[in-house]
Amino acid sequence: MNKHVKISAENVSKEFIQKGTQRVPVLKDISLQVFDQELLVVLGPGQSGKTTLLRIIAGLEKPTQGRITLDGEEIRGPGPDRGLVFQSYMLFPWKTVEANVRLGLEMAQVPKEKHAETVRHYLDLVGLNGFEKYYPHQLSGGMKQRVGIARAFSTQPKVMLMDEPFGQLDAQTRLFMERETERIWLSDKRTTIFITNNIDEALLLGDRIVTLEGKLPGRMKKSYEVNLPRPRDPMDMEFLKLRHTITSEQELTL
Amino acid sequence: MSKSTHDVSNEVVVRTIVRKRLTLRSLVREEKFLYVVSLVVFFTIWHLAATRGNGDSALVTPWATLQGLYDMMSSPLGGETLVGHTWNSLRRVLIGFSIAVCFGIPLGLLLGISETASAILRPLVDVFRPMPPLAWISLSILWFGIGEEPKIFIIFLASFIPSVLNAYNGVRLIEPELYDVVRVMGGSRWDEIKQVVVPASMPAISAGLQLSITSAWMGVLAAELVSSNSGLGYIIILGMQNSDPQMVLGGMVMIAAVAWVLTASMEKIDMMLCPWRREIKGL
Amino acid sequence: MAYQTVKARKSLKLRVLPWLSLTAVILIWQFCVSPPGVNDWRIPGVLLARPYDVLLLGIEKLTDVNPDGATLLVHAWVSLQESLSAFLLSLLVGIPLGLMMGWFGVVRGLFRPVFEMWRPIPPVAWIPLAIFWFGIGMEGKIFIIWLGGMTPCIINAYMGVKTTNPVHIQMARTFGASDWKIFTSICIPSALPMVFGALQIALGNCWTTLVAAELLASDQGLGYLITAGRSIGRTDIVVLGMISLGITGVIISQIIYRIEAKLLAGIRR
Repeated sequence: MNKHVKISAENVSKEFIQKGTQRVPVLKDISLQVFDQELLVVLGPGQSGKTTLLRIIAGLEKPTQGRITLDGEEIRGPGPDRGLVFQSYMLFPWKTVEANVRLGLEMAQVPKEKHAETVRHYLDLVGLNGFEKYYPHQLSGGMKQRVGIARAFSTQPKVMLMDEPFGQLDAQTRLFMERETERIWLSDKRTTIFITNNIDEALLLGDRIVTLEGKLPGRMKKSYEVNLPRPRDPMDMEFLKLRHTITSEQELTL
Repeated sequence: MSKSTHDVSNEVVVRTIVRKRLTLRSLVREEKFLYVVSLVVFFTIWHLAATRGNGDSALVTPWATLQGLYDMMSSPLGGETLVGHTWNSLRRVLIGFSIAVCFGIPLGLLLGISETASAILRPLVDVFRPMPPLAWISLSILWFGIGEEPKIFIIFLASFIPSVLNAYNGVRLIEPELYDVVRVMGGSRWDEIKQVVVPASMPAISAGLQLSITSAWMGVLAAELVSSNSGLGYIIILGMQNSDPQMVLGGMVMIAAVAWVLTASMEKIDMMLCPWRREIKGL
Repeated sequence: MAYQTVKARKSLKLRVLPWLSLTAVILIWQFCVSPPGVNDWRIPGVLLARPYDVLLLGIEKLTDVNPDGATLLVHAWVSLQESLSAFLLSLLVGIPLGLMMGWFGVVRGLFRPVFEMWRPIPPVAWIPLAIFWFGIGMEGKIFIIWLGGMTPCIINAYMGVKTTNPVHIQMARTFGASDWKIFTSICIPSALPMVFGALQIALGNCWTTLVAAELLASDQGLGYLITAGRSIGRTDIVVLGMISLGITGVIISQIIYRIEAKLLAGIRR
């Protein structure tokens, strides 16, 4: 199969200045390719720089060294061609569900008459019809993140970036949302980078899993292809085997 | 008991309204019952305190206060009835307050948004802030004489600083990731201001309005006490000069009533400005 | 592993601008006001005094009692006495009351209506009654300032108790603690941060109310200094009084802030 490279990171490193004077290396020499229509999962424990990697791809941070390209063009700042789903939802509490989703359309200068239809379409997609007029504080965590996903999708980005989107949900809702994510992703196969610290989530969702080392600065460790049929069964023998492999190799670093 | 249910996928939202049952025991524990007791006790003590003295007591009964209030409403004092005086004070407050808010909130937002503006203007705000607005009364009389202007100036000063500081703090306390939401969607700096800075600082701005109006009401009274020939402050100082506690207490009742109306309207405005906020129950 | 350290500094512009703007304002003030006895295009001396003259007067007033009857330090001392004793009184009365209102339904039910009636009245409006009741001595002023300090004490103490984590209370109930025990050993400690938050607000209120009280009935104090300056047409005295009020206010609020930080650090440890 001829794979088109969508995003390519070349020797990306990042340092932060902490407390004004401390130089903290967060990422070191990350080289990574994401293919078109791929769901890539970046798996790493807390404090491994995975969120920073995603923020660099989103254009919210500049790499200290190296560069990242999207469709061959270097990323120089944030833009509507990449949609970001935040770990802590980051809905605007002063806007209704509908208005939160419409936000991206307004900014992308989509003609007004298309707003209502687009908003309805993406709220349908995430299963939130009937909640248009609710304010975020009236919703549960899982519902909030559905709004976050609809908002990121609404501008039709080339790439979806998901930063531990279900980290704050309870286990059951989380599993359900993982299934939903898979369903949505299968519906239009948009290139997606999904960040998580949960190995089951990684195995359920990923076409490919990239692991990061568990201490700063984060380095690329290994890449695993997951060639299991979807929807995946977490009790399946192959699934458990791969889980065992990844777990044992992850644990060596801890 | 009424109940409404929505569900979305695997999650269910249930809203239930429960009515409390009324019994004698719950009545005694009921706060509203205690409120009645409290008011009865308060007015009885007031009445007894006022009647115990032999006529020269500097306190009149609640009933006499009400009567005084009625008299002042119907017969003019210093050229105007109590209603006219109330309106005079209120007008001054509304003018001074509006000017202060119109300048204060944009200035506060600017200080929060721009580091340069903050570097230039913050030191000036910090120098003026600790000086109580009422300390300006003497200068304002020297500058503007005894007309409307010195009072409006004091009210302006009293409500300006809270407006500025609350807007400024509102901007500073915004979750930085909220800006990222706009930036990721390709929004400009202007979009960040319009979509994040203004709405996110609105609760703080609205709290600032509350503080400002309270401070403005205090300012107008102080200014009227010092030099004036109309307004509620003038009424109570006139009552003092005439040794007429009925007039003083009547004026105070009016002052409390207007303050209450002002606070209540600010709460209404707050609900209009920030409809998304959860209700926080307090005093 | 120790992280490498780098030098970090604010840009030069941001460090210089605050000083530049303060200096500019003082210079403009100095040059736009006529010197005493001169009459030209500038703001006349009867409306505003020059900062330099105010500074000179301030030094002179450290020892000179003329023309208002006391040295600057005496005025400041009188004001401090009035406001601090009223401040302490409002803490002593307001905080326990607020705490009790937060925990005991009966106390809340009995005091709340009276509190709600009393709260909207600005302390300034009590001045005439205070003069009726106490005359123009220190008691009257302390009464008015005390009223100014009460509101934040009551509200913060009340809210502090109300926002106690309910899980802590339930935990104590499972151990069979009495209401009073829960109040003293859980509600009060957890309300303390908010109570300390009230100190600064109450002090600010007291300081503002002090000015109003002294403007009307007084023969000493910084507020009186301002009124006296106006009545004899000396703007330098007015401005000196205002600046002294500001500086004294900053000093006591800094002291309270330090105490507060010490006490809070003690609780958090």
